Amino acid sequence: MTGETDLTRLEDLMLNERGFVFDPNTGESYQVSGTGLLCLRALQRGASIDEVVAQLVTSHDVERITVRCDVDAFLWDLKQLGWL
Amino acid sequence: MNLQPYIAPTIRRVCQTTANPQRLGRVPVMDAIDGVPVSRLIETHGSPLFVFSEANLREKIRGVRQAFESVYPNVTFAWSYKTNYLNAICRVFHQEGSIAEVVSGFEYEKARHNGIPGNQIIFNGPWKSVESLRRAVSEGAMIQVDNRDEIVALARLAEELQTSIAVGIRVHVDTGTHAVWSKFGFSADDGEALRMMTWTRENTRLRIRGIHCHVGTFMLDAGAYATATKAVVGLAIAAQEAGGALVEYLNLGGGFASHARLHGQYLPPEQATPGFDDYASAICSSIKQGWPEGCPLPKLYLETGRALVDEAGYLISSVVAVKQRRMPDANGALAAYGKGGPTVASAVRAYGKGGVANGLGSTRRNAVVLDAGINILYTTAWYQPSIYPATQTAPGMQPTTVYGCLCMNIDVIREEAALPDLKAGDAVVMHPVGAYNMTQSMQFIAYRPAVVMIDPGRRVHLIRRREVLEDVQGPELVPGHLAETEQPTAAIGRHEP
Repeated sequence: MTGETDLTRLEDLMLNERGFVFDPNTGESYQVSGTGLLCLRALQRGASIDEVVAQLVTSHDVERITVRCDVDAFLWDLKQLGWL
Repeated sequence: MNLQPYIAPTIRRVCQTTANPQRLGRVPVMDAIDGVPVSRLIETHGSPLFVFSEANLREKIRGVRQAFESVYPNVTFAWSYKTNYLNAICRVFHQEGSIAEVVSGFEYEKARHNGIPGNQIIFNGPWKSVESLRRAVSEGAMIQVDNRDEIVALARLAEELQTSIAVGIRVHVDTGTHAVWSKFGFSADDGEALRMMTWTRENTRLRIRGIHCHVGTFMLDAGAYATATKAVVGLAIAAQEAGGALVEYLNLGGGFASHARLHGQYLPPEQATPGFDDYASAICSSIKQGWPEGCPLPKLYLETGRALVDEAGYLISSVVAVKQRRMPDANGALAAYGKGGPTVASAVRAYGKGGVANGLGSTRRNAVVLDAGINILYTTAWYQPSIYPATQTAPGMQPTTVYGCLCMNIDVIREEAALPDLKAGDAVVMHPVGAYNMTQSMQFIAYRPAVVMIDPGRRVHLIRRREVLEDVQGPELVPGHLAETEQPTAAIGRHEP
């Protein structure tokens, strides 16, 4: 049985510079892209979705609509993992 | 502010195969072909785009000629039209001294159109129409007879013309390396070929002057040519002793491997593919050792195609969509080796832990959709082209499935290629793709792309324009009762009285 207490919180995740993510609760490891790492770190700091999108748009050669679409898909993945 | 190139945020669960992101090494960027930037080629000619290197074509044919001519006195190469019959490609080989090898009346016409006289055309193939044979005979082509029906047809023609016709006879040999290509010619192993040579001599006006043997395709074992050559030499001697033929030439066909990589091939092409010297040694040594002393060595013809044109051909294509592909829970690649047990995730779940839900409980793999499909990359059924990014991208390779653009699930160019994270609009270059993809491509769903050739001076020449609607529907006819078009919307809106 998986109880509430088993769920991993975003701030529990261990990240490194190369996008390696370790979930200490499940023992699973993940690889995120560079922008994925940026998102995770921003979210760990408590940034809002709009702030994450704005940060990506400011630093990358990309349209806002594209980033919004991709970030929403990424957040959906994080919800599937129970991190959000 | 200097903006970074954008790659979408993605997350993949790490499994055995991706635990070490360095395991796939680095794939070099191919941002130019023969010194011409890929971006400029796309800008001028669009994407996808086939590109041929004229310098590579010339380097290959000169290399194979050097390999053979250094060990044998009388060698002629014939360009295999079916491997790539774009006129510009054929003409490069003809300029380099190759005659033509054709396998149909259509290819024969192409060779003549390219200025090759009939007596410099080798006419192969299991079916040659009577009309094409008639023309070939009248122009003195080197017909290589494949079967009894063809011998009979040519015999009739010789009677009709009241003349003798010089031909070669095609044979097949068991080299022990692969299934015998018994579709073609007569068996040199069981006496069939010798019997037919003798019968032809005694019953027709045909005069057999050559023996042709093409052992197979993509031959990674040069030793197979030694076996075949010994058998052919033995047959020539036996035929002469039996009065069946005076063999003046041997034709060992083609089949030399290029640096393509077969599906499932373990060793990289650089290690697995024999060099031209290996093939030359296998063939020429066998002739010189077996041919009777005091008799002039027979002329040697070779028809290698793939090894001369494959590496000259590139396909530029562009990413049109990026996906994350959900892979089966068990590791399919390791399962093939009996090691594809349950994943860590499922093992953890068995102990009541593991909050991993839905898609990310499984492995994910990068996937991209390109603007080119397998209809123009027919050879991907057997070979896996290398795929290079055309621009500097994010570091780190990921196993990536490369889909084509066709609305068909089978349209997979590479099940797993090592590529960096790519985004829509990024260009890639596939290589080698110069052999058979021109001649075997089919028009399907989309127009086939343009083809350009880069000459040694880095000038880019369009050698086949991109298709247009008229190319596709030009041969179509519409019956009279369907000729008048009626707008469907008008028909729907009309009420019966």
